[in-house]
Amino acid sequence: MSFLGFGRPQPTSAEKIAAVENELKVVAEMHSRMVKICTMKCVDKTYREGELTKGEGVCLDRCAAKFFEAHQSISEQLQKETQARGGAGGFMG
Amino acid sequence: MDTGLTQAENRELEQRLQKRQVKEFMNVFGSLVDNCFTSCVDDFTSKAMSNRENGCISRCVLKSMSTQTRLGERFGELNAAMAQEMQKRM
Repeated sequence: MSFLGFGRPQPTSAEKIAAVENELKVVAEMHSRMVKICTMKCVDKTYREGELTKGEGVCLDRCAAKFFEAHQSISEQLQKETQARGGAGGFMG
Repeated sequence: MDTGLTQAENRELEQRLQKRQVKEFMNVFGSLVDNCFTSCVDDFTSKAMSNRENGCISRCVLKSMSTQTRLGERFGELNAAMAQEMQKRM
């Protein structure tokens, strides 16, 4: 993000801290959602064993990879569609 | 991680992140209880937990922690790769 305006005030200390904290918050939330969803999709709910089976482990790995890919493609498509519809699409990470 | 903050600002950030971590732990704990209780406890003909239910909950906790670990590793790898990919595009 670049501030090109003349005489535009620098971000305050509080703003800078909040920006970093917010970025980490976004990442943490994504992590939390991924864990919930992939657990639901991959882990046997009868809990017959205390350890992950090989199949469950592999499923989790693949679920994580696909979750990220879906995140990316949805982000790209949303940006494209928003622009096409004349919206001022914000910066999507 | 180079956050571009001064030392004092970094300290403030660290404090906030620690608070967040505690909150996050409580969230994980809460989810664990909700999830394991829902999956394991179905029998309300008795007030006391059966051996079956206790065993199930114990296994559920172990499995959930293994899942967290595994997904934590995958997430770290994938997130780093995604960040790299975005750097390349900028």
